[in-house]
Amino acid sequence: MSTQAAHTTAYPDEVVATDREPAGDPEHRVLADRVAHLYRQSNLGILLTLIVGVIVSVELWVPAYRDVTIMWWLITISISAARYALYRSYLQRADTDEQKWLRWMAIGALAAGVNWGIAGAVFFPSHSNNQQVLLAFILAGLISGGIPVFSSVWWTYALYAAGITLPFAYVLAAFGNHMFAQLAMLVPVFYVANVAIAYRLDKVFSGGFKAREDYTRIAREQDAMNAQIEEQLQELLNARREVEASGRKLTLFAERAPIAVLEFDPNATVLEMNPAAENLFGYAIGELIGRNGLQMLFPVDEFGVNDSWWRDFVSGVRPATLDRLRCVRRDGLEIMCEFTFTPLVNDEGDVISIIAQGRDITQELEAERLKKEFTSTLSHELRTPLTSIIGSLQLINSGVLGDLEKDVAELTTIAERNGQRLLDLINDLLDIEKIESGKFELSPEIISLDSLLGDTLVLNKSFADRYNVRLAMDDRLPQVKVEADPKRLVQVVTNLLSNAAKFSPEGGAVDVTLELLGDRVRISIHDRGPGIPQEFRSRIFSRFAQADSTATRQKGGTGLGLAICKRLIEMMHGSIGFENRPGGGTTFYFELPVLEAKAASAMPQQGAVQ
Amino acid sequence: MTTKPLERVCYVEDDEDIQRIVRMSLERVGKMTVEIVGDPMVAVEAIIRFKPDLVMLDWMMPGMDGPTLFRKLKEEPQTKNLPVIFITAKAASAELAELRSLGALGAISKPFAPKDLPDQLRALWNTLP
Repeated sequence: MSTQAAHTTAYPDEVVATDREPAGDPEHRVLADRVAHLYRQSNLGILLTLIVGVIVSVELWVPAYRDVTIMWWLITISISAARYALYRSYLQRADTDEQKWLRWMAIGALAAGVNWGIAGAVFFPSHSNNQQVLLAFILAGLISGGIPVFSSVWWTYALYAAGITLPFAYVLAAFGNHMFAQLAMLVPVFYVANVAIAYRLDKVFSGGFKAREDYTRIAREQDAMNAQIEEQLQELLNARREVEASGRKLTLFAERAPIAVLEFDPNATVLEMNPAAENLFGYAIGELIGRNGLQMLFPVDEFGVNDSWWRDFVSGVRPATLDRLRCVRRDGLEIMCEFTFTPLVNDEGDVISIIAQGRDITQELEAERLKKEFTSTLSHELRTPLTSIIGSLQLINSGVLGDLEKDVAELTTIAERNGQRLLDLINDLLDIEKIESGKFELSPEIISLDSLLGDTLVLNKSFADRYNVRLAMDDRLPQVKVEADPKRLVQVVTNLLSNAAKFSPEGGAVDVTLELLGDRVRISIHDRGPGIPQEFRSRIFSRFAQADSTATRQKGGTGLGLAICKRLIEMMHGSIGFENRPGGGTTFYFELPVLEAKAASAMPQQGAVQ
Repeated sequence: MTTKPLERVCYVEDDEDIQRIVRMSLERVGKMTVEIVGDPMVAVEAIIRFKPDLVMLDWMMPGMDGPTLFRKLKEEPQTKNLPVIFITAKAASAELAELRSLGALGAISKPFAPKDLPDQLRALWNTLP
């Protein structure tokens, strides 16, 4: 908007081509300017006509021509009034039809010219020679005077001048003396010369208007360009602010990060490092910057980060991660680190610097080693003596060595049972450790779930008997084949059965069911126990989860059983869960994908326990 | 299935307590004749001398571990056809599978139940052709 305002104030003329700009094409606007100029000069023309009219009337007053003079004045005033009216309506025009306004102006010009031509023709013959000279001068003056008025469109001038010249030349030739007759011959030449001047002025006007038009356009374009430049400048400023902000953020990240961050140039010279890197290597920033990182930080080593590795890395232009990198601290201590080296590349593809990010994993590795050692100790060193303990007690309790006194037998049974419990705990710990470290391997086979369930019930009968609980299963199960690790599946079912038996009321039953649910099979173990306390439900499958720690003493168990079951079942692509059993108690279930299934047959299942 | 009953078993094991328990289990419960070898370095000669029906090897022993001893037995003409069962606390399944493919009859995991051990051995024995 500001550009238009500026543009308007640059041309404060009363009459302008149009104030609704930019309208139409440049040529149209130049024409509009020329027409506007015609109208601007129009009033001057009218005024001159009236003044010259008065002079002529006074100087050449002849009473005999009074009526004719009055008549001429009426016509002159009418034409002037019409031209003024045209001027007014041009000012108030609503259209941009410049050709129309030009045509009207041309008609006005012709009328003005003809009016003077007639005046010349009417008054010339009736006057004396002196007065005729005066009239000729006045008419010549009117012809010349029309040039500034009409020449912005040369042919309007041509019309105007023709209107004067033709009648006047005629009366000069017809009624004038010898001199005037010769003058009449010069009038067309005079006319042509004037029109030629008007034509050239027209071109000058047009050129001027064209130049103004161009200037306006250029000014407008420049304004737009300036606005655009300003906008881009603002964007650049914003971008710079953002870059500065993110730079500050990055600096903060690096400053506060627990990860050591170092920047190297392609020759491995240290350029920058953060406080975590100072801590890691024991060097102050000043001691390392500008020094060769390969010599300072890494041991001379056939492997790891040495000169040839670095050359290959820089020419490879690829990030590299070394998860076991030996590094040397300032105090000479070797540490094991994990480092990622990332090359920063410019637009030409050249490496400009290398960012290294790393951390000390010495303690982590040590912890891992200790854990492995502990696991191995658990698995061998603890199990070997337990083998002797449980084995001895079992032999004693089996009676092959002879009968025992009742109290002794009771105690050795307690010892054997608790030895077994300790063994279960160790086995569970080993299982969960293996599962969680991802080292647990299943040996899946295609198995008949129905017969596996039957066998497992037989295996757990003696355990259930101890709690005086009956394990019951429908003897007409659907025949279902699944792909699973049979040993581990038995472990899961055993775990669920022993939990159910432990928490069942004495003399109660644990029901085992098997249902086909589309492409999955659900094995459920239902008990009539006290149910799962509300607050325990969410963590029942977590490690060392037991509803009540006193339950460990009362019921045995490690609190790892369900956690192991859940992981084992998930490793076999199944799912495990529990729900309240209608009528009291709990149902634990797991589901496995079915390979093949047949509906329940009438044949009793082998191994079904009643 | 072999018709010959399992009678003579040789067990190579360094732990004296377990030696005694196994001996007791196999002799008392299983009614077998048992030879225990405590030092795996002399096991091959002892086995040749004793002429067992079946050999049981502990997995982890000082001096020579069970799998190494097993390979030595396989190299010896007089012992290479003897069925071998491993008694192990850590059964690395990959290694066990490899030993099976070399001719080991099976494995019994530690701790075992002494009253069931003879039955377990006989069950494996009965899988022999």
